[in-house]
Amino acid sequence: MWNSTHFWGPVVNWGLPVAAIADTQKSPEMISGKMTLALAVYSSVFSRFAWMVTPRNYLLFIMHLTNCGAQLVQITRYVSFHGGMSNLGKMIEMEFNQKSPAKENEN
Amino acid sequence: MTTASRFKSLWNSPVGPKTVHFWAPLMKWALVIAGLGDLNRPAEKLSVGQQTTLAVSGLIWTRWCLIIKPKNYPLSASNFFVGLCGVYQLARIYKYEQSKKKIEA
Repeated sequence: MWNSTHFWGPVVNWGLPVAAIADTQKSPEMISGKMTLALAVYSSVFSRFAWMVTPRNYLLFIMHLTNCGAQLVQITRYVSFHGGMSNLGKMIEMEFNQKSPAKENEN
Repeated sequence: MTTASRFKSLWNSPVGPKTVHFWAPLMKWALVIAGLGDLNRPAEKLSVGQQTTLAVSGLIWTRWCLIIKPKNYPLSASNFFVGLCGVYQLARIYKYEQSKKKIEA
């Protein structure tokens, strides 16, 4: 078992929740909103994947559950650092308008 | 085989859209897209731990997807790109750290 990718794959992936938990102690400026959200959704889908695959991979399953939780914690830190959901919405809208100034001139 | 029955067999396939074996690889591309979106993120704001894990795990999972049942080539491909993105970001962080050292020296 110790020789197989079925074991080492999930072991290496534990780096993701561990990195996230370590990052909770750092400034929320370091959080990439896109990547954290993508990781949270990804881990929730893959918890099921790990359960349904043959052979069933419990280690991977637990890891993805943990990661989903850890990424959600980072998301709440990110949202509160950027002034809450409404502020974030404005930020995203501003970024969007910056990328297409022609549209804003139209208005 | 008619088009209808072909669609039906795809729809009902063990790796078809009714199963997680279909959606999981699609989902993993979201990590690649997020990674690409972060390519221009300033290097001092990148998380070393996160990028290291993405790089190493992406490359390991590229192989895992080829030895599970059912084999999952699309998932293997997306893992490869996750790994590649992680390696690239690590290189950026390394370059940044080196340039910082030069300024301090």
